[in-house]
Amino acid sequence: MRGWYSNFVSAGWVVPVFTVVWIGLVVVPLLIMVLFSFVEIRDYRVVYDLTLKNWESLIDSGRWISVVRTLRVTAVITLIEILVAFPFALWLAKGCKSKNVKAAIITLLTIPFFLDPSSRTIVWRAILGKSGIINTVFIELGLIDQPMEWLLFSEFAVHFGMIAPYFPTMVFPIYLVLTLIDDDYLQASQDLGASPLQTLIHIILPLALPGIVAGIVFTMVPLMAAFVEPGMLGGGFVNLLGESVEAALRNLKYPTAAALSAVVIALLAVLLTALVLILRRRGSLGAIFVTLKR
Amino acid sequence: MASAVRAEGARHPILEVRDATHRFGDVLALDRVSITAAQGEFLTILGESGSGKTTLLRIVSGLEKPSELESLRIAGQDVARVPASDRNCTTVFQHYALFPHMSVGENVEYGLKVRGVALVERRRRATEALALVRLGDKFDRRVHQLSGGERQRVALARALVTRPAILLLDEPLGALDEKLRQDMQVELLDLHRKLGLTFVYITHSQEEALTMSDRIILMRRGRIVQEGTPANIFERPATRFVADFMGMENLIPARFEGLEDGFAVARVGAHRVRGNWCGVEQAASGDQVHVGVRAERVRFAVSGDEGHPNQITCRQGQTVYKGKYVDQGAETELGTISARIWDHGLDPARITHLWWRTEDCVIVPD
Repeated sequence: MRGWYSNFVSAGWVVPVFTVVWIGLVVVPLLIMVLFSFVEIRDYRVVYDLTLKNWESLIDSGRWISVVRTLRVTAVITLIEILVAFPFALWLAKGCKSKNVKAAIITLLTIPFFLDPSSRTIVWRAILGKSGIINTVFIELGLIDQPMEWLLFSEFAVHFGMIAPYFPTMVFPIYLVLTLIDDDYLQASQDLGASPLQTLIHIILPLALPGIVAGIVFTMVPLMAAFVEPGMLGGGFVNLLGESVEAALRNLKYPTAAALSAVVIALLAVLLTALVLILRRRGSLGAIFVTLKR
Repeated sequence: MASAVRAEGARHPILEVRDATHRFGDVLALDRVSITAAQGEFLTILGESGSGKTTLLRIVSGLEKPSELESLRIAGQDVARVPASDRNCTTVFQHYALFPHMSVGENVEYGLKVRGVALVERRRRATEALALVRLGDKFDRRVHQLSGGERQRVALARALVTRPAILLLDEPLGALDEKLRQDMQVELLDLHRKLGLTFVYITHSQEEALTMSDRIILMRRGRIVQEGTPANIFERPATRFVADFMGMENLIPARFEGLEDGFAVARVGAHRVRGNWCGVEQAASGDQVHVGVRAERVRFAVSGDEGHPNQITCRQGQTVYKGKYVDQGAETELGTISARIWDHGLDPARITHLWWRTEDCVIVPD
């Protein structure tokens, strides 16, 4: 049993197999996609002449505005998620004493994962719409005369609709890393004279950093490519990159979709590289995990 | 010296806990425990796991909120309602709890940093504190690069750097191996003498408690069972439990008979054994008691006509070789008695009688 296990974990075949599989399934398709952004489709057939047309049209058609908008929306939602998820995860990991409550919350948090994004989003139309629940109730109560139009098909609606579905991906990694922080560290900090705020800043935040980074990655990456919520709640007024890719694909404009996807990936690469570079100054993230073990 | 410290401490104790009670759910961890410590005293709280000793320490540090508490004073100030961060004491944790994301120096200066001490000043004081524990050159090391003993000393420096009135140590040597533990004992005593600080030291090791303390408080099941100097607790255990806990090898059930020339007399079968009465209250005739004598105080005779006190005939029992000495079992009418033989020249087979001095024998209530 032990021999089997140690053979498995120390096996030399893992790296080559992983490399081959990952290149075959992920890297090569990605390169093909980038390549695709430099070809043209005429009469439903791919013409293999390299051209910059697709890229020029991205700029000419004003799609760069949706690039900026995508970045802004992604950044705002990610920030909101951090601000809400961190205190929540801290409470869940260190404050919540009841095991049953904890288990119930963790189960509830997985709900967004098993709901289809379209069906969970479409509900908001009935709630936020012109003749939706909120406007009807407010008008009945005499609080407003006219329905609030900004509730639906607006940037507000898009932000609002994306906060809950992308909350668990931020909470889980942070919760996990917080449970790894030994209570002794928090007590030692307090014992040495630190206020709760000082303990948060000097001990909890630095030790939770790997989890926060993981939360940002897991949340930001799908947000950049999100198209269901912006489409259904933005109502065509809030064009994001993910939606543009989806629209291009629907119109069989594969090269355009490829170019747009390449932009998304390039943006993500830049953002994640920046994140890693910033964090490297704080010492290796792996080292923190190593030292969290006793 | 020690008694002068105690007399002074009785008037102005640096630490005074009165009637601390603590429950974990239905479990009574501490039952109306009161302790005091004098300025500069090395006070050890001794007990097996579950005796409440760590709970008591955590109540002093403020990390545990007691269920009931009459009063808690540190350096004359009532701190019962003061949070742990504002109490004038620091803790050396059992597993050190050194912050893994900070260097050795950053760990040590942490207490100063959160108090707003300027960088240059706190660097200087942290370096001083590290020098005090002979780690002056390890300021920039990472914690995980240190050995167990070095981590222990960093934890000490970190707790000392803020110059607390009381240093609380929660089984600080528990995780170290034997040799290192003995070295650290000496080092801790050195530090204690040098700093004149009050140490409240938690341990389950009677050997550690005897070696280091001015005074020992022995706890069991949330209560204090005996307190006194190491010699007092070692020589005059107040109950059978204390005698057993302090490593008294021979404890023989007996019936109390009475007093004779200042010594207690107990009956074991047909034998009458004399020894010091150590119980707090006087026993009545016929009470169940135990006769206790340490293996190293049992002496040997090769003939029975020398008129020794507490003399008894014996046959050779099991021999256990321990290196420095031999633990020799001896079958007697009192039961098996363990004796310690330091003289390697002595042939156990020749021993016909055992005896012990009346002063070396204790008679304790159950």
